[in-house]
Amino acid sequence: MDDLFLERIEISGPTLASLLQRVSSSPGDVDGLIFGQIHRIVPSNLSDDSPAESSSSSDQLIATVTSFICSGKTVSFYDPLGRVNPRRIDYLRVDSPDHLIGWFSARRKTSNRPSMRELAVSSSLSSQFHLPIEDSENPKSTNMASSVFFLLTTPLADQLIHTHEYRSFQFRSSNQRLEPRSVGIVNIGPAFRGHYGSFSPKSGFPPLVCELRRSAMSVDYDEGSLSAKKQAGKDQKEIDALADGLHVGDLRRLVGAEAANYTGGIEEMYEKMLAKVESLASDVERSSAMIYAQDKRNRKLRYRAARIER
Amino acid sequence: MAFEGFPPLIADQLHYLLNHSPDSIKIESVWSGNKLNPRILDRFTLVIPYCLDTIKWDVIYNSEYAVTPPDFIFGPDDEDFMPCSTVVPEDGQISSLDKALSEWNNEDSTRLLVLIQGLRDQYVVYQRRRVGQIDDDRVKFEISTVLTRKGIEMQMTSGVDKPEEVKFAVPLVMDMDINKMVVGCPWKHQQKIHLQVVYPILRKYETAPSAPRLRLVSSSDLKALFSVEDVKLSSWMDGMCLAEYLPHLEETLERQILEAVSAIDLRRSFIEALAAFLGRPLEADPTFCRKATFLAASGAFTFVVNFFFSTQFPKQQPTLMLQSCQHLNQLSVPVKSNLLTEYPWSPRWEVGRMAERLCDFLTDEAVNFKKYCNEALLQY
Repeated sequence: MDDLFLERIEISGPTLASLLQRVSSSPGDVDGLIFGQIHRIVPSNLSDDSPAESSSSSDQLIATVTSFICSGKTVSFYDPLGRVNPRRIDYLRVDSPDHLIGWFSARRKTSNRPSMRELAVSSSLSSQFHLPIEDSENPKSTNMASSVFFLLTTPLADQLIHTHEYRSFQFRSSNQRLEPRSVGIVNIGPAFRGHYGSFSPKSGFPPLVCELRRSAMSVDYDEGSLSAKKQAGKDQKEIDALADGLHVGDLRRLVGAEAANYTGGIEEMYEKMLAKVESLASDVERSSAMIYAQDKRNRKLRYRAARIER
Repeated sequence: MAFEGFPPLIADQLHYLLNHSPDSIKIESVWSGNKLNPRILDRFTLVIPYCLDTIKWDVIYNSEYAVTPPDFIFGPDDEDFMPCSTVVPEDGQISSLDKALSEWNNEDSTRLLVLIQGLRDQYVVYQRRRVGQIDDDRVKFEISTVLTRKGIEMQMTSGVDKPEEVKFAVPLVMDMDINKMVVGCPWKHQQKIHLQVVYPILRKYETAPSAPRLRLVSSSDLKALFSVEDVKLSSWMDGMCLAEYLPHLEETLERQILEAVSAIDLRRSFIEALAAFLGRPLEADPTFCRKATFLAASGAFTFVVNFFFSTQFPKQQPTLMLQSCQHLNQLSVPVKSNLLTEYPWSPRWEVGRMAERLCDFLTDEAVNFKKYCNEALLQY
């Protein structure tokens, strides 16, 4: 595998904020996985001179961090020597559909250089995990190692004004080194419009095939065939995950003849999606309280095992 | 050093490390990384001697998960230092460092020492590899010729405004166990003598390599027996190499150390000879015989005589200092004389004659000293 060079690492403002929040709310040091994509872009620094340079050589690879999972402790998916255990990664990421792009480590009051174990973990991770490079012009994509590493620290001296430090690195297999990379923070706004050039929307809704289906199969709404029922059940499940009490059939109102009531349909759908979000939020709040209580009990036991008296 | 802030199991490991390490490791600073209980310490900086210099490593425990082994942050110049092997080596041999990490047991207080020693061994190999990669013919030649000597440590130093240099720390007279040669040896650590050799790295526009800088360094306790500053280093000839220089230096050193050890007996017999004239000493350094104190009298005037011996005794006569037992100044401190070195002396005399002549001098000097004491009191 080629040791490809990442130009920079990008992370959206909310993702970085939530990463910092997660790290700073934990009592001790933590680590975790980060997910995202790698894009190949052609920089738009076209000039009249030097046309001899081929376009492929000036291509740049950019990693974008889209989400993360925090383990809540250290030495979570690797052993003390830094050897990554793929089974523990699967256990930690649950069924996150995103590509594993690298990992992060957060430790309070330490210098912001990679530690011995962090270097070893990065080396082991990038030798075992790869992700495809997204390239719209050249879909026959190649793979790249999961080589991104985020280091989050807090300053050693208390009197400094800032409270957090973060650096990103790429592990290069050719020299076995973690090379620092600049972090680009992507926010919404006119200044960042360029970042959305490669954006392709993904919807969690099932495809709205109602119209097609009607034209092909007369005006019969009631479809009795087993496969259609199965499909409808599957679609309903997908919708249930997003909205509260919205039926597959209701989606028909958004296309075709009934689209005259379009606004009403959309409003209803948004209301039901909001209801879903609210019920999720209250679920989360309840379970967070339980997790917090359990965490407290666990910590007490850990302290007892380490013979720390408070 | 206070370890109260550390969780007890980490404190045990630290105690063991500091008390049992062959190198004198020190702790520079300790702090906590715990958010909820900032009084629980779990991080510290170790200062570890290396190549006659020190290296600083941060040791990071996680007090929330005290069962996991610590992590290390090395110095800013050691980015490439990667002591953990992430793949099993081909010969299937697992290093002691890897073993200590993968079979970590936080109840075993010896483990931190094993880790630090394993890391330090790896660091020696790492620095040697770095030095070996330098494009400098002389350094390459020196490495190839002194490779058979054991225990050589090397270090690369380079800075933005400093010229590149390679430092060698060559242990000398390894066959001599100095600790064993001293009867009743009080030293905890093995005493060692090193030759520090600093090679300036040849810059592109220079043609001839300049001579390396040489310096003898010993452990500080050794000064009681033998001072390496008294050893005159022979000059470095043009085109010379370390393998040529060392044998002669070691021969000289060995001879001087043997002399220094036998000098202890000379000083002891001199002190014993003094006892014939002055009576039993009030106090005497029993191991190295560098100090002795006697009580003396001149008529009714009694005073204390302090003898200080240099390692060059008997070539250098002892330094005397008299102290009155009867004259106290306003602060109730006994009146003392200046250091006395000017008196008849010959290193060729026998010890009995040395003691006899010295006591003759003391008899005369006692009169002067009494007068001096009385004058000193009158001034107040």
